[in-house]
Parts: sequence; structure tokens; C-alpha cells
Amino acid sequence: MKFCVCIKQVPDVQASVQTGRMVLNAYDASAVEEALVINEGTDDPVDLVLIGSASATETIRKALAMGASEATHLVAEGEGLDSHAVAALLAAHFEGHAYDVILTGKQSQDTDAGLAGSMLAERLGLPYATNAVGLRAEGDTLVVTRQGDAGQEILALKTPCLVTCSNDMNNPRIPALKGIMAAKRKQIDTRSITPPGPRTRVTTTLEPPGREPGVKLEGEAADMVAELVRRLDAEANVL
Amino acid sequence: MEDKFDCIIVGGGIAGLSAAMTLARADARFLLIERGEFCGAKNVSGGVLWGSDLARLVPDYWEDGEGFERFVAHRRLTFMDPQSAFSVDFKSDHFQETPYTGVTVLRAVFDAWLAGKVQEAIDASAHPEESFIATDILVEEVLMEDGRATGIRAGDEVFHADCVIIAEGVNNLLTRQVGLEKPYVAGDHVAVGVKEVMQLDAKRLEDRFQLRGRSGLTNEFVGACSEGVEGGGFLYTNRDSISIGLVLGMNELRDSGKTPYDILNTFKAHPAVADMIRDAETVEYSAHVVSTGDIKGMPSEIYADGVMIAGEAAHLLLNAGKAIQGMDYAMRSGILAAETVVEAKKANDFSKAMLSNYRKALESSYVLQDMRSFQDAVHLLHRKEMFSTVPDLVCDFGRQFFTIDSQPTQKASAMMRAAVKRHASYWDLVKLGLKAARSL
Amino acid sequence: MSSILCLLSVQDGRIKRSSLEAMSHANTLARAEGWSLEAVLLGSKAADLAETAGRHGADRVLVIKDPVFDSHLNAPLLAGLEAVVKAASPRLVVAASTESVKDVLGALAVRCDAAVLPDVASFSVQGERIVCERPVMAAKKLARTESSHPLVFVSVRSGSYEVKEAQGAGTVVDVPFQFDAATLGLTLREIVKSAGDTVDLSEARVVVAAGRGVRDASGKALVDELASITGAAIGASRAVVETGLFPATAQIGQTGKVVSPDLYFAVGISGAVQHTAGMANSRVIVAINKDPDAPIFDLATYGLVGDCFTILPLLNAELKKVMASR
Ligand SMILES: Cc1cc2nc3c(=O)[nH]c(=O)nc-3n(C[C@H](O)[C@H](O)[C@H](O)COP(=O)(O)OP(=O)(O)OC[C@H]3O[C@@H](n4cnc5c(N)ncnc54)[C@H](O)[C@@H]3O)c2cc1C
Ligand SMILES: Cc1cc2nc3c(=O)[nH]c(=O)nc-3n(C[C@H](O)[C@H](O)[C@H](O)COP(=O)(O)OP(=O)(O)OC[C@H]3O[C@@H](n4cnc5c(N)ncnc54)[C@H](O)[C@@H]3O)c2cc1C
Ligand SMILES: Nc1ncnc2c1ncn2[C@@H]1O[C@H](COP(=O)(O)O)[C@@H](O)[C@H]1O
Repeated sequence: MKFCVCIKQVPDVQASVQTGRMVLNAYDASAVEEALVINEGTDDPVDLVLIGSASATETIRKALAMGASEATHLVAEGEGLDSHAVAALLAAHFEGHAYDVILTGKQSQDTDAGLAGSMLAERLGLPYATNAVGLRAEGDTLVVTRQGDAGQEILALKTPCLVTCSNDMNNPRIPALKGIMAAKRKQIDTRSITPPGPRTRVTTTLEPPGREPGVKLEGEAADMVAELVRRLDAEANVL
Repeated sequence: MEDKFDCIIVGGGIAGLSAAMTLARADARFLLIERGEFCGAKNVSGGVLWGSDLARLVPDYWEDGEGFERFVAHRRLTFMDPQSAFSVDFKSDHFQETPYTGVTVLRAVFDAWLAGKVQEAIDASAHPEESFIATDILVEEVLMEDGRATGIRAGDEVFHADCVIIAEGVNNLLTRQVGLEKPYVAGDHVAVGVKEVMQLDAKRLEDRFQLRGRSGLTNEFVGACSEGVEGGGFLYTNRDSISIGLVLGMNELRDSGKTPYDILNTFKAHPAVADMIRDAETVEYSAHVVSTGDIKGMPSEIYADGVMIAGEAAHLLLNAGKAIQGMDYAMRSGILAAETVVEAKKANDFSKAMLSNYRKALESSYVLQDMRSFQDAVHLLHRKEMFSTVPDLVCDFGRQFFTIDSQPTQKASAMMRAAVKRHASYWDLVKLGLKAARSL
Repeated sequence: MSSILCLLSVQDGRIKRSSLEAMSHANTLARAEGWSLEAVLLGSKAADLAETAGRHGADRVLVIKDPVFDSHLNAPLLAGLEAVVKAASPRLVVAASTESVKDVLGALAVRCDAAVLPDVASFSVQGERIVCERPVMAAKKLARTESSHPLVFVSVRSGSYEVKEAQGAGTVVDVPFQFDAATLGLTLREIVKSAGDTVDLSEARVVVAAGRGVRDASGKALVDELASITGAAIGASRAVVETGLFPATAQIGQTGKVVSPDLYFAVGISGAVQHTAGMANSRVIVAINKDPDAPIFDLATYGLVGDCFTILPLLNAELKKVMASR
């Protein structure tokens, strides 16, 4: 199947100190991994598209090093790209490219918006599924296992279609040296674009409300347990 | 061609990146391999990069100002007993001039930034597509054929090169594997470094430490900071955080039964320190082995056929009390090793004889000269007196000298005598003083 | 008159608590602005729940009684919601941030030409602007985000507001709707319910969550016992969902569910940001971990440093006694 994965560069949320380091959105890495596994042993491509600043090429190379085929880099500098703007730009990109399956991450790790995928599907008029934890090709049908509220739903989607991927679907491979070298020699189709105005705007970023400092009990298990139960009952009033 | 490089560098720390920059500028084809997810991901460091080699690698690095935190403009050495702190403090406008002679760095930022600069140099070189920085890959083996290094193995991938620079840092497993390091390094040649990064809003930090623009303070500590365990403390200012930590003798620490973390907490609670870190929030804690900087701790040799050892993998470090110099040594040795590769390439000779030029260059540089001349200072610093008697005595004197309590005041010389009497034998101190005068 | 339209999610024949939480706040806003409050219920039994919606402030309850909504499928849901939004033409559409809502929110916004503020912790109307606060960077920061678009959709994290009863007229209005199955590009083959979910996680007042420290079936048995004594729902970290010890529906965190119970037990969970992003707003957090430096202790109201295999049997016995005496 011809895949295209929409990938995003995000700040490293896991870092304890904000170093300004940027990484491949973990959900997108899972999408790339899944497409590579499905296409293993075939000549079908797993292409990439990324919207972001010029320095995001590093992230594109990382996904290419995993084994993706070709990449388009739509260069948009500056802030203010919300999911709405991203979906509009991606939709314009896909007007000129035909794929069997478009994959996105289920959400961006930095903003947790979780919108761009279904927005894009709607713009392209494609059937879609979100929060996929498993993918399988059956002829020209894509079988998707999605994590719903109360359990898993198994869906059959006619291609072309779009699926948003959870990181619970796999563990993305770490590129090997050969992949890293090959990725560096690949041409990236780079184009400048002007994003449409966003519909939402972040005005300020605040610290979340802090928690009252708690108590840490150490020592004999029986003593700790007795103390905990006493406090849960008398102090916290939750029993 | 694809699989054969002029050089493979193992380790994307300071030594490795400095070598890579030098090779990129000389249009060499190389592969640098770092096991961390990115350069700097795994690196712990107290944080002052001394000297001016950085300006050689990245001229005008201060202009974009991205890589470093602050330049050192204010230095302080503090002796402490449990309640007091007696400091020698030096501040001068001459520190404002570029190139700076010291900058504080956070390795996760600095190494990644330097790697970016190396990538730019590769892109601008004659072979932009034939040199690589590869991260998230562990080199498991240096390949040897007939006693000479020919390449590396990572997982099931093998790559060859005319020579290998091992810049793997203090846990030098590959250096051992190629037979240059003793099977295990004695406990007195390594110490334990612990460090916390504590976040504090830049404005408050600048007010608190009287900093201007990007100027910064370095403060070294001896005495009660290490609870009597051999070692010393440090506190450095970053853009919006403070690096604070200790370097503790491995053997002593083991004997004391204390954990480095506990000692660090005592240090942080010392009144003089607590006032400096108030309201700063710990965002990172790390511990790492560090060499003591004893020249006897160096590997038996730092080159062999097709291979050179750079940076702390070769135990190149100096800790003579007023500063820890490991990063600048790593930088210089990386540069010199790479320059040796460039010469070797011209002669197409990567033999041991050719690579001995690396040793020669290092011997005539400040690195090995200083390690030799301050050898005694390093030993002196490891004497028990230096982290108990001396700081106690200095603080005792300070307490008398600076206290004005409506009592008849003694002359300073009498105070000094009294302080000495309380803490040491006069004779021992004279001996120590003489030793110090000779070794510093 | 402007209005706020609340999408109510139904599970097991009941309106989800998180939907009522969001509607309670929407009601407060609507009253303050002098707007009307309308609710949407979809499904064959939709009308039966209209009374509950009215009891929580809804002036009108828009219903589509079509069985196509009885199990979740995005295409018909989108069509249904589009019909309702067009019928009501509200200023603001509010929903609880459930998986079903997340599945359609973006597409619905495109169809209705709306702006979206997803997964918010709070929201308000400020003149022309809809303003919200939403956790970002794995909940390490809160981003105040706003939109002045004429139609705004807001989805609300569970536990963000209290459920409050308020009398609305609750007038039921049937919205005409017909779904053309031929337009469906996908089919639902199967629903795999995970066994053992007796209490819905995001609604539970007590949650017992297990991590890698719980290790195996014997650890799971101890966790199950603690949950049954305290009437808790069972949650899990990604680590033990990955190994299959706990079902994916139990996963709490950035990828999983958001919970904010009165009491949260974190058993053998280290406290990675992606996990705490989903539980940091719990009122009382009890952490049991053998590593005294585990980051979960930074959040814990009560931290117990020790082996959960030693602590849980004692805790279970002790709690059983206390509960029996109630
Ligand atoms: C607490 C503390 C405070 C310090 N303070 C200072 C200070 O203020 N000033 C100063 O100058 N020095 C200081 N030092 C010393 C300084 O950090 C080191 O001397 C310096 O980092 C050495 O640089 P390097 O490049 O040789 O090694 P490192 O910086 O250790 O880099 C080695 C790199 O190699 C990688 N690597 C290792 N093995 C492999 C492998 N097999 N495959 C792939 N990659 C591998 C590692 O991940 C690492 O990135 C301090 C050290 C400590 C612990
Ligand atoms: C994009 C992304 C999204 C993610 N989303 C989620 C998510 O939604 N939810 C989630 O949970 N994770 C998520 N993760 C994974 C997350 O980063 C952590 O890996 C995961 O939460 C770790 O689970 P854990 O705490 O159970 O395991 P560990 O981190 O391995 O911790 C196990 C803990 O158990 C303790 N322990 C061990 N034995 C015992 C014992 N006998 N008694 C007491 N304590 C013991 C240990 O000290 C340790 O602290 C995500 C990761 C990524 C990259
Ligand atoms: N700038 C971008 N470039 C390419 N794809 C993107 C971009 N931003 C978001 N996406 C895709 O949309 C998904 C997340 O959507 P959202 O959470 O709405 O930002 C990501 O996982 C990507 O697959």
C-alpha cells in the first residue's frame, strides 16, 4: 500500500530541563514504524510530509533513517500553526499526491490537540479512524483496531483512507547506521508555504497549580500501613 | 567506498566533537558515533569550560550566544566549616573581553549545539555527504586486525576506517578493549561527581549574584561541604539555573558509608549555600565518575596502530582546587588527535610511529605540561588537612577577625596563632604550607 | 438569543458523569450570559435520558432516536452532530473529552466551520472570545488559549467541574435525520470489550493504578483486592498494559485516560510525566514504591517507601477492618 505519514517536530516533553531540543512526535514515529512493517518486502513507498521551520529537517532525517522513502518539507516559520491551519496545508499538499493510506499521529505530544488527523480526513473526504492501536492490510482494505472508550473496535476501511495512530501500536525502531547514512543522501522536497490564519491562539503559558507537599512514610511496613490508614480516615477523609 | 572512512570517532562528547570539527574543516571523511539519543543526552558536567579553544573551533561563538550559559566574570573560592564561610573573591572587568576565558555550560545544550556546528562544517566541506554524526548507536567493539585498529562494530553493523579516535569518556571500556588501559582503574584514580541543576528565574538569579548581561559566577568550596570526605564543592551560574555539586573521593566515600546524595543535601543546607539557592527548584540530579586528574591514572599509552585516545577516556583532567579542567582538556586533545589524523592522511600512514605525533603534540601543549607541574598540588589536595583542618582554621580565624563584640580586640597575628593552635600543630602546618608553596 | 449546545455521551444506558460535569459548567456560563442551554442525545433510547439532561439545566434536549448511534461509528455520528449543530446554531458547543468525542471533533469542526479548543481544564466566555486553559507539554504547563471564531467547540477533561443539578425545561425536540449507509467508507467488524472493567475509570471516585512494580498475576491479585475493598476502578501505567497484564482501557496518562478521583493509589508506578499527565489532579494521591527517589513521591499526598508485595497484604487487611466497621 502507498503510505504517506504526516510527521511533526515537537519539543522534548520528557526532558527534565527544557533544553530547546526538538524530536519526532512519538505518535508519528509509531505511524512510520507501522507503515514500514506493513510494506516490508514490497516496493510500496512510505513517504513523509512535515510542516515546520527549516531546522525540522533533522526530524525528517530521523524518520527517513528509519526507512521511509521520500519526504516533503513544507517550510513555515514562526508560531501560530494550530491544527486547523496544519490540516488546511496538508490537504493542499495531498491534492497533488495520491496515496492509499495517510497516517497521522493521534495527537501532538506538545499540545495534545488530537485534531489535525480527522480534520484532514474531512477536508479530503476520506473515511478515517482515530486512536489506532493496530493496523493490517487485507487486499485494498485496511483493518484498524482502535481503542475506544469501553474497549477495542475493529474497523474495516476502504482505501484511500486516513488513520491516526497511538504509540500503543508498536515500539518504533531506532535507526541503524546504514539507515542514518542513507537518509542523509536522500533529497528532501523543500518548499516554502504561507500558513492560513489560525483559529485559536495561545495567549499565555502558565505553571499548573502546585500540589500541597505530602508526607513520605518510611520504615516498617506495618507501621506505615497503620499510619496511612489513620491519615486517610482522619486527615484526608476519603474512606 | 561507502564503508571506509578516514576516521571513525567513538563518542560525541567534547573530545569527540572537537575532533570532528577539526576533521570537517580539513575536508576529511569521518563518522562520529554517539550512543546517547543526541549529543549531550548522557553527559554530566559541573559546567565551566575553561580556556579559549572554543573560539578556535567556533570563532565568534559568543555572537549567537546559543551554546553557552554565561561567561565567567566573577570567581570565588570558599573555605567552610559547618557554620561559616570564608571566601577569596575576585571580580574584574578584564573578564568581559572576548574570547572569554571561561564559560558555564549545560552539556545537554552545549554538546547538541556544538554537534549542530559540526554538521554545518560538514555541510560546508568538500564531502558534505560522506561524513556523518550518528546518534543513538552504541559502539560495542573496536575491530582489530594484526594488532591495528581497522574500524568499529555496532550491533551487527561494521564500518572501517584508516583510524579510530576513542573519545568515550571516563568509563573507557573500548580503551581497555584495545589494550591501552589497565583492566581496571584503581579507586584512587577516580572520584564521584554529583550535581544538581536548580532552576531560578533569570532576573532573580542576576540580582542575587550581581550579574550583568551574560556574566556569571563560579564558586568552588573546600571544607565542610563534603562532610569530611575528601573532595570539594562547586556552584556555577547558568542563564536561568544554578549548577551545584560535589566531587568526592571514591575510596573515602565508600569508607564513610554515606551516599553522595546525602552529602550534597548537607552541602546545600549550609547557611552560606542555602542563601544562594533559596527558592531554586531542583530540576535534574545526576551522578558520574570523574578522574582525579592524577597523571599516574593515564592509560599506559594514548595511541597505538590506527587508534588514539582523547579526552577523559585518557584520564586527561586537572583538579588542583581552583577549578576542574576536564572539558578544555578534552577539547584540546580532540583537536590534536584530529590534526594528527589529517597529517597521517597526507602521508597515508596510520601506524603507531605516525600517531605518536599526537602524544608529542599533547606533551608540548598546556594539557600535559599542567598535569605534570600540578601533580603535587593534586596530591596535596587529597590530604585530609585540606578538607578539614585548613578550612576549619581559616573559618575560625575569620570568625575572630570579623567579630566586633565590645571586647578588647586581639591583633590579627595573635588570632591566627590561636586559631592554628586549636586546629593543628604549628609544625604540621608549616610543612603543609611549604608543600603548598612548592606545588601551586 | 445565543446558546450553548452540550453533547452528552451515553454509556451503558447512562449519561456519562464527565458529560454532566461539562454541562454543569456550561449551565453556569449560559445563565451568566443570558443564553439558553441545549443538550444533544443520540441513540435509540435517547429520549429516556432527556429528563436527566433537563435536571442538569438543559432548556431544550435535541434528540435523534436512531439505532445507528447505539455503537460508536464516526461517520454517522458526524452526520448526526452536523444536523444538530445546524439545527441549533449555537455560539458554543461543549462536550466531555471522551474517545468517541475525540474521534469526531476535528472532522465536525471542519464540517461546521468551527474553531476547536480541545481537552480543556477550564473555559469561560469573555465577550467575543471563548477562553480556556489546557494542559500542554505532558501537563507540565497550562496554555491559556482563546478563539474569537463565531462558532467554537470545547471538549472538557473529566473531573474539571462538579456536577450540579439545575432545573431546565428539558423540552424534547426531535431533529430530523436520515443516514445513508451507502456513504459509509468503513464498517465495524467487531467490538472487543475488555473483561473486568466493573467501574468506569474516568468516573470513579477511587482509582487503584498498577505499574511495572506490580510485576505479575500475584501482584495483580493484590491490586484487585485493594480495588474491591475500596470500591475502586482499576487503572494502569503503560508499562503493564504493554505486557498485557492490564487491559488498554485501564491505561492512564497522556495516551490513555485522564482521571481525577478523590483517592488515587499508585502502586509500583515511577511517575513518568506521560503517566502523571493523566492523574495529577487527583485529590489524594497515595504512592507505594520501593524507590524513595521515584518522581511519583513529588505528587503523593502520602508516600509509602517499600515493596508493594509486603505493603499491599497488610494494607488490604487493615482497610478491610476499617470498611467492615462502617
Ligand atoms: C560532576 C562533574 C563536574 C565536572 N565539572 C567540570 C567543570 O566544571 N569543568 C570541566 O572542564 N570539567 C568538568 N568535569 C569533567 C568533564 O565533564 C569531563 O572531563 C569531560 O566531559 C570529558 O569530555 P570527553 O569528551 O572526554 O568525555 P564525555 O564528555 O564523557 O563524552 C564521552 C561521550 O562518549 C559517548 N560514548 C561512550 N562510550 C560510547 C560507545 N561505546 N559508543 C558510542 N558512544 C559512546 C558518551 O555517551 C559521551 O557522550 C566535571 C565532571 C563531573 C562528573
Ligand atoms: C508518547 C508517550 C506517551 C505515553 N503515554 C503514557 C500513558 O498514557 N500512560 C503511562 O502510564 N505511560 C505512558 N507513557 C510511558 C511512560 O513514559 C512510562 O514509560 C511509563 O509510565 C512507566 O510505567 P511504570 O511507572 O509502571 O514503570 P517504570 O517506570 O518501570 O516504574 C516502575 C516503578 O515500580 C517500582 N517498583 C518496582 N518493584 C516494586 C515493588 N516490588 N514494590 C514497589 N515498587 C516497585 C520501581 O521503583 C519503579 O519506580 C508514554 C510514553 C510516551 C513516549
Ligand atoms: N506541522 C505538522 N506537520 C505535519 N504533520 C503534522 C503537523 N502538525 C500535526 N501534524 C499531524 O497531526 C498529528 C497531531 O495533530 P494535532 O494533535 O491536532 O496537532 C500529528 O501526529 C501529525 O501526524
